[in-house]
Amino acid sequence: MNAAEWIRLIAGCLFILIGMVIFFTELFGVFHFKYVLNRMHAAAMGDTLGISACLIGLMIFSGLNFTTLKMFLVIVFLWFASPVSSHVLSRLEAATNDNLSAHCEIYEDVEILERELAAAEREENTEGKEESVS
Amino acid sequence: MNKELIYHPLFIFLLIVLSFMLLVCLIRAVKGPRVADRLMAVNMMGTMVMVMISILALLLREGYLVDICLIYAMISFLSVVVISKVYIGIYEEQHHSQENTEGGNADERG
Repeated sequence: MNAAEWIRLIAGCLFILIGMVIFFTELFGVFHFKYVLNRMHAAAMGDTLGISACLIGLMIFSGLNFTTLKMFLVIVFLWFASPVSSHVLSRLEAATNDNLSAHCEIYEDVEILERELAAAEREENTEGKEESVS
Repeated sequence: MNKELIYHPLFIFLLIVLSFMLLVCLIRAVKGPRVADRLMAVNMMGTMVMVMISILALLLREGYLVDICLIYAMISFLSVVVISKVYIGIYEEQHHSQENTEGGNADERG
């Protein structure tokens, strides 16, 4: 093995190590959080970032050929598919949970939320001005 | 030094680590109190199986296994979307039928 192949091995191992660490973090988060909508945040990370890191490592191992291109296609497909499946899962949870307000705040009307957000923003602005004046 | 001597044990080690992670995902899928938990765990398992298939493609030097990986990604995505939609439909149907029977009882009482 010459120097270039050693560099390829080390770079690939580095990417795969990053991917494994991300998968491990994903599993830790899935068992750490208490509710599905929180867990989904940890689970969606592995779907895009974890598999991207692992497959980039494997792409470096395999070199320039059609296998690399197909692996890149898998990554691109998951970039599009993973957010959609997370969204669909959270809609499933929101539609079927009768007791959702026990886990998170729910606004029946969007206007109430917008009004509250605008009020909070105004308060922050006035506080900032007072601080700057004083 | 032979390349095989480094890559082969490395890939076997990665496959072993990934299969342990897969087992932990399965525990989440069995434990998960809600349907969304289980579906999410199945989605995670699908992601890890994709990495395993790609590693196998390099280990066995069979490039076409990555095609299977791509198809696996599509089917896993499709299954999550379809099962979610079907479950929402079933839930709403049950809800409506309950409301209807309650309404019917109220009518009978009236």
